[in-house]
Amino acid sequence: MADILDILDIEHPGAGEISRDSIIHGDKIKKKYITAKSVKRPEGMHREVFALLYNDSNKDLPPLLPTDSGKAYKQTKAKLGMRKARKWTWAPFNNPARKDNAVFHHWKRASDEAKEYPFAQFNKQVSIPSYTESEYNQYLKSEDWSQAETDHLMDMCQRFDLRFIVIHDRWDRAAFRDRSIEDLKERYYGICATLSKVKTNPWSNTVTTVNGEKRIYHYDAEHEKKRKEQLKRLFDRTQDQIDEEQMLLTELKKIEARKRERERKTQDLQKLISRADSGNMPVTNTVPNNTEATHTPSNVSTNNIVRRHDRKLHKKKLSTQQRPVRTMETVTVEWSGIKFPEARSTGVWLRSQRMKLPPGVGQRKTKAIEQELRLMNIDIAPTPTEAICKHFNELRSDLALALDLKNALAACEFDLQALRHQYEALNPGKTLPIPASLCNTTDGETKPMGEIIDVVGSPSALNSTI
Amino acid sequence: MSLPTDFGPDSGGRVKGLVIVKPIVYGNVARYFGKKREEDGHTHQWTVYVKPYANEDMSAYIKKVHFKLHESYANPNRIVMKPPYELTETGWGEFEIVIKIYFHDPNERPVTVYHILKLFQSPVTEGAPPIVGRALVSESYEEIVFQEPTQLMQHLLNSVKPITNGPWTHDTNFEEKKEKTLEKIIAAQSKVRNEISELKEKLHLAKETISKFKDEIAKIQNNTASNVLVGV
Repeated sequence: MADILDILDIEHPGAGEISRDSIIHGDKIKKKYITAKSVKRPEGMHREVFALLYNDSNKDLPPLLPTDSGKAYKQTKAKLGMRKARKWTWAPFNNPARKDNAVFHHWKRASDEAKEYPFAQFNKQVSIPSYTESEYNQYLKSEDWSQAETDHLMDMCQRFDLRFIVIHDRWDRAAFRDRSIEDLKERYYGICATLSKVKTNPWSNTVTTVNGEKRIYHYDAEHEKKRKEQLKRLFDRTQDQIDEEQMLLTELKKIEARKRERERKTQDLQKLISRADSGNMPVTNTVPNNTEATHTPSNVSTNNIVRRHDRKLHKKKLSTQQRPVRTMETVTVEWSGIKFPEARSTGVWLRSQRMKLPPGVGQRKTKAIEQELRLMNIDIAPTPTEAICKHFNELRSDLALALDLKNALAACEFDLQALRHQYEALNPGKTLPIPASLCNTTDGETKPMGEIIDVVGSPSALNSTI
Repeated sequence: MSLPTDFGPDSGGRVKGLVIVKPIVYGNVARYFGKKREEDGHTHQWTVYVKPYANEDMSAYIKKVHFKLHESYANPNRIVMKPPYELTETGWGEFEIVIKIYFHDPNERPVTVYHILKLFQSPVTEGAPPIVGRALVSESYEEIVFQEPTQLMQHLLNSVKPITNGPWTHDTNFEEKKEKTLEKIIAAQSKVRNEISELKEKLHLAKETISKFKDEIAKIQNNTASNVLVGV
């Protein structure tokens, strides 16, 4: 309260009283107050926080942070009142837009004395085409419009500056029959167009010249009528109708969302199928699982799609034509076995953790490796000593590599068969010899894999069906 | 267990390049009652344990061992502070026991091993009654690796005392097992490597043959070649 009084320079109620004390110690008390304020730090407040506060003892210190305000505050002040004030006068003026020569008064600069009233230029006049009687008879005759009526229209257009709503309102219904706004407009613009064709005078706003070519405004009354009708209907809808429309729109959105969802599912399925189809690992047993998964939550139409894809899948299995191209891609893959993570950082760990397959190895491969290990009678989690760990990891890496190679080889062999068939088809009676070492190798060697994974659909199995 | 006072909890850094390995054995023994117990249907008494592979007192560096039992047991989280780190219970079913080993040094995170409690001889032969009285042992070997332990931990790991003056043996002969496993793995490795080189050769040959076949086909159908190839 006292602070506000200080700021507003209002005398403190108590300070107004003159006492002996205030006369003798008045100055001292004031001084004390200021110094106490500047020095004293509130109990419990950190020194750093207190130092941030403004107080008298550090008001000359420069700010610690650089500012980005540049030299803004140093710039020269706005020079107010440096020039001599210009004179305003109360003067009469004439508006050239008016024809009645009325004289009004307004304030204006003495220096602007000579100038014309500046707002006069905004009084735009529409130039309405005119025609003579012979012209009318020659060009403008109409079955629907008499000349008197046409004259009346042109007159009204002139009077009301083409404000057709007004023209329609003031239409002389006693003399002529009632006409719609569209009728009036159509007639007027029709006349403008005809006259601008036959005469050379530029009829202001109905004719615009673009690149030296005359362009005539064409009024489409029919379209206008329809447009207005449409707006009227839109406006006249009842609340029920609006609600129904809203409901239908949301339904449409839902349907479209469902459609997208379905398409997405189909694509996923397609990807899955092509992966299963082209991959060197035949995964026919996983595909039905996945279709099964999509079966359950989907509605009838998705079921159909799924079924269609199933059928497609079967067709693909049977048709051998598409396969070679796809398998060719897998042949070029680089193999490197499994990369186990390198030495760990500090800390405690268990030796057996070293034998975990890295997450990059797929489940399918993991299973295949385990199966191979079982065939060789090796524990899939052997006693974890350092040496065993190392060799076991190396062994599994090699196994993974061997599996990849076998698959690649099977794919190659399939390609060979396909190419030979192609050759035979092109060149009947002749054949290409496949090297003996490549023949019938996969049947024996891929068997362990075939035991884990369904053989149907694997390249090697297809060889026998060709 | 009193800690030496000259090693505080954050005394010194880790000892660079030092790796200390402490092999352990964990598992369970189980004994069949001979019948189903009337009151709760339990059939076996079992003991799950963690013990050192070598004859040494692990309490020097292990603070506590936490056994997490199946949730059907009353308070399934059992903590053993002192050796022997073991826990005896009765039950009727097999389940996975989570064993968490904590160390004295707070800088070292606890390690976790998983043991499937084994009560029944595998394979379980239908009709044949389980052997009464003879204990069934299922245990595994594991190595705890202290990679660059702290000075405190190094001190603790190196100051272990033997548990017993007598011989320290295990039911499973792990030395023999290790040896045999390693032999088998190395044999398998060389076999697989041979196979790989063989496969690589074959693959090479196959690729060459493929390109040869392609050339042949291309030669034959000079006019229609491109179309058909694309089609195929």
